[in-house]
Formats: sequence, structure tokens, C-alpha cells
Amino acid sequence: MSATEATPVLQVDGLVKHFPVSRGLIRRKVIGMVRAVEGVSFEIARGETLALVGESGCGKSTTGRLVLRLMDPTAGSVRFKGEEIATLDKNALRRLRRHMQIIFQDPYASLNPRMTVGEILAEPMAVHDLHTEAERATRVKDLLDVVGLLPEHARRYPHQFSGGQRQRIGIARALAVNPDLIICDEPVSALDVSIQAQIVNLLQNLQQRFGLSYLFIAHDLAVVKHISDRVAVMYLGQLVEIAAKRDLYDRPLHPYTQALLSAIPRPDPSVRKERVLLAGDVPSPFAPPPGCRFHTRCIHAQPRCKQEQPELRDAGNGHRVACHFYETLPKPAAASTASTSLGKLPERLAAFEAAKAARNGSG
Amino acid sequence: MSVEALNAAPAPTEENGLFARSGVLRRLMRDKVAMVAALLLATIGLAAIFAPVVAPYDPYLTDLTKVMQPPSAEHWFGTDNTGRDILSRVIFGARNTLMLGLVGVIVGGFLGGFLGIIAAYNRRLDGWIMRLVDVMLAFPAILIGLAVAAIFGAGLTAVVIALVVATVPDVARVARGAAIGIMSQEFMEAGRAVGVSDRTLIWRYLTLNCISTIFVFLTLRFGQIILIGSALGFLGMGAQPPTAELGMMAAQGRDFLFMAPHIATIPSFAIFVIVLAANLLGDALRDVLDPRLQT
Repeated sequence: MSATEATPVLQVDGLVKHFPVSRGLIRRKVIGMVRAVEGVSFEIARGETLALVGESGCGKSTTGRLVLRLMDPTAGSVRFKGEEIATLDKNALRRLRRHMQIIFQDPYASLNPRMTVGEILAEPMAVHDLHTEAERATRVKDLLDVVGLLPEHARRYPHQFSGGQRQRIGIARALAVNPDLIICDEPVSALDVSIQAQIVNLLQNLQQRFGLSYLFIAHDLAVVKHISDRVAVMYLGQLVEIAAKRDLYDRPLHPYTQALLSAIPRPDPSVRKERVLLAGDVPSPFAPPPGCRFHTRCIHAQPRCKQEQPELRDAGNGHRVACHFYETLPKPAAASTASTSLGKLPERLAAFEAAKAARNGSG
Repeated sequence: MSVEALNAAPAPTEENGLFARSGVLRRLMRDKVAMVAALLLATIGLAAIFAPVVAPYDPYLTDLTKVMQPPSAEHWFGTDNTGRDILSRVIFGARNTLMLGLVGVIVGGFLGGFLGIIAAYNRRLDGWIMRLVDVMLAFPAILIGLAVAAIFGAGLTAVVIALVVATVPDVARVARGAAIGIMSQEFMEAGRAVGVSDRTLIWRYLTLNCISTIFVFLTLRFGQIILIGSALGFLGMGAQPPTAELGMMAAQGRDFLFMAPHIATIPSFAIFVIVLAANLLGDALRDVLDPRLQT
């Protein structure tokens, strides 16, 4: 590829996905659209981790699948190393699969139970005609080693492994073709907290080792704070805020982000803080509210919010936010101070660090 | 986690092959009813395969000096109205009947399984395939048999076609159901993300994962198919005399039901045993393969 170092690995621009809802037995009529993703734009630089966070159903997983073209976007552009991929045909798409991979949420469902681990890891290489058969066998063993499994595990079937081990197999499969970008679709949310730390650290090690870029889809703000460089917050199919990690955690500008951060429970009851409570449920993406999609639950909502959709505006340092009134909003006391406790976050981060230290010490 | 810690995790027992996950064979062995059924089917099957060796007499040899004899040491199952040995005819008849059932189930299972899996894989074809299947489902097998016999003439071919048509729609529905469940699993998406071809996805990912469901269903269907086949034989649309076929033998014996009841009842009983054994085995296999049914 002719892309230079400066070109972002991934550029997503105005991505839209509508799922038609149809009714009728004989003559099926489309009665509406589920607007799962509506005009999402972001970039991922080489070696960077962009976290995509939001409530369940906000379209973050759909965005990941659109980027990989596991689903076809309704509109918008996805450029991988400068090359437009939203319109690639089937064969070109298959070649592209070599460079973008995905790690799934559920390690119990993401491995074919009828294939041995060795077959699962060799398949991507065989599909893309990489290496000879003998080289593939060697590489399978290398991959197992890279993710902390043993060479003899190649002969076993997925059901013979624990959840954490299976997730390692899923990671090894993604690495098999030496991709540049890996979509991590909630890769740790189905795992125990202790295993989460191992997997997150493994992902970070691999990133450093192979220069990978991650699109890290998650709803767990502790994990996100640990692994990401930048964070994009999604609500009802749209990005409401995107910023460097530190910037976002220290200075959340969008009321929704503020509410998310304030929702993290605190272990110390003596530290009083104001919680930003969200009323009601997420509106249906079938009939999203007009204007700012968040106005139905926003405590600061004003008449303008109901009519005019806010654009993502730059608030300095590449911190962009989609809110008409972010400049004038009262700063939430809790989230604005960097020293504020983030619930169990410090303990869990300490666990991450300890696991990393143990790993480095033993390896 | 260090490599040592990973290694210390309890390694499950090594079992490979089609029924990799549960030690199916071992649990099937523990089911006594199923073992008796399997033994019966195996005995009948072997006798049918080696019929020319096993049968004590020529099934077509008439002996008018020994007509309608009741079971005796010489003729275990007695003789029929033309003096033919019924045991030999039941063995040869079982051969034909089992063959009909097997061909019906295998061909029907293959076609139905294929249709169902394709329907699940390609949602655009789904509606068309399943409507076709519904149409097939609407016709009773006996009616199809009558129609085919009317077109091509009565005979084993007509029965086979009727049996296949009777098997396809049900298998297609079961296969589609199983395949739709598999389709929603993330590993299908993983296969696509890797760039695996449609053919590999359909075979290695989809078919191999629902084949045990289809297999169990076919085992259960086998008994019914044999029953339908025999019924068609009984109605005279299947094998033509003097060919031995259990259903047809029962029909022929019907005329002598009061004089020599064994002529009709013995082939009927043979059908009964085969169907019962197939059903029991199918049930046991389903119980063993479906962990949700285990107590």
C-alpha cells in the first residue's frame, strides 16, 4: 500500500446504518428504519487505541461491524490506509480481511466447536494463501506462544478451554494474518475481572510488539481508561464527544459523558458528590427524538435542543463535543477534579499493573 | 497468568470426532432399552444384508403340498398360501423394506438438510425454499405414492420417490431451525471476518455444527418412513408379487386371516418390531445428544 506514515489507519466519515423494518406477509412493506448508526466520523492513527463507549444498543458494535464490512453501510465512507472500502466488491473485500481483524465479546460463541485450535489458527493463513503448510504449523505454535498458550493446545477443541483461554485463542486468530487494525468488540466484558486484567495487558503488549491499532468497543469505563489513547462516546447512533483519554476523564463536556462518569460507584461514602442522574430510558432508535438526541434525558435541555441537532464542535486540543451549550454548562463538581476517586477503578488498575509486572517478571 | 498456571488448569478428557463433546457412545451404552433396540435392529439388518445365506429356504419356491402350514420346527414361521417359507420371505422382505426406509431417509435427509441449511444461510432464498417445503408438506405421503404410481406405474421406485418427498420437508424444517441457531453464533461472523469462502462457511461452520441434530431427527424418522413404505406396499403401490416386501406380504395374508392368521400377522409383527426399535433408538440418541434433557 502506498499510504504514508501520516495517513491514519482508519478514517470513518459520516457512517450511517439503517435497518429497514418491514411488515406484511405477501407484499412486504418497509414501515420504518431503525437508525442504528447515524453519521459517525472518527479517525484512528497508527498504533493508537480509540475506545468507543456507550450504553447497550447505542450502535457501537454495529459501527465496528460496518468498519469491517461485516455489514454494508447505508451511507458514509470508511477509508483504510487511505483506500475507500465502503464500496469494495467481494474479492477485494476478502483481500482486505488480511489487514483488519476482529476480536469478539463471547469467547464461548466465537470459536467453531468442530475445529481444533490448530485448524482455527491456520485457517486465516490458508484463506489468504500465506506460508506453506509446514510454515503455518510453526506459526500456529508461535501464535499460541504469543498469547500465552502451549504448542500442544493446537490439537485440542475449543470446549476444552476456559473462557480466558478461549479469548486468547480468539486473539491469536486475529493476529494470524498480521493485521494492522483490530476491532475489539467488548473483548473482556464476558470475562471475570481477574481474567480481564490479563487479557487487557495481553492486548497492550501485542499492540506494542506488532504496532497494532485498536478500535476498542466497550462499556466498562475502567477498562477503557486503562487501554485507550482516545475515547469516543456514543449515544443513540451518534458520537456526542470524542477526546484524548485524559482530557475526557478530567474534563467531560457533554452532559451525557458527565452522567456516565458520575455513575461510577464510589467506595468512600464520606466523599459526597453530586450524581448526574439520567431520567428514563434510551429512546428507541426506531423513532429517535428530533434535535439533539439526548434532549429527552438531559437536565440542561433548552428549547433549542429540541429543534436543532448539534454538530461536533472543537473545544480545543482535538476535544470535540456535540452540545449547543457546553461552554455555559455548570461544571460537574465530581468529574472535573482529577483527584476524584473513580470507584473501584484504582484497585482494578492496580490489579492490571500487578498482572503486568508478574508477566514481565516471569517472561 | 504464567504459562505454568495455564497448564495447571484441569485438562478435559480428549475426545474427538463427530460426537466430540459428550462421550455419547458411552452414555448410549448405559441406556438398556436403547441397547436392546440397537441389538434388534442390528440383527434384523444383518439378516437382511446376508438374506441369501441366512434364509433357510428359497423365498420364491412354492410347494403346494405344504400350503398354509402353521409354524413348526421345519418352517419356523409357517408357510403361506402357495407353500412358501414365511421366515425366508420375512428375511427377504425386511431386506426390501429396510432398503426402502434407508434410501428414503438418506436421500430425503440429504436433500432436506441441504435445502434447510441453504435457507438458513441465505435469507433471500429462505422464503422461496420454505414455501416450496410447505407445499410438499401439504401432500400426504400416501397421496404422493398414489400419484407417482399412477404416472410411472407401481413399484419400488414409486415408493422411494414418495418416501423421499415425505422426508424432505420435515428434515428441511429441522435443519433450518438448527442452522439458524448456528448462524447467530459469533463464530460464523468470525469466519466471515477472516475471509472464509461461502462454501467453507456452509460446510465447515454450518453443516458440521447441525449435522448431529439432523442425524437424530433422521433416526427418529426412520421408523415412520418404514411404516409409510409398508403402508404403500400394503396398498399395492410398492413391490409387486412375487417380490417379498413386508407390507405387501401382510396385504396378501389378509385374505386368509381366519384360516391361517400367521400369514398376515408375522410380517406385520416384523414391521412393528423394526419401527419400534428404530423409534426407541432414535429417542435414546436424542436424549443423549441433547444435554438439556438430562436430569
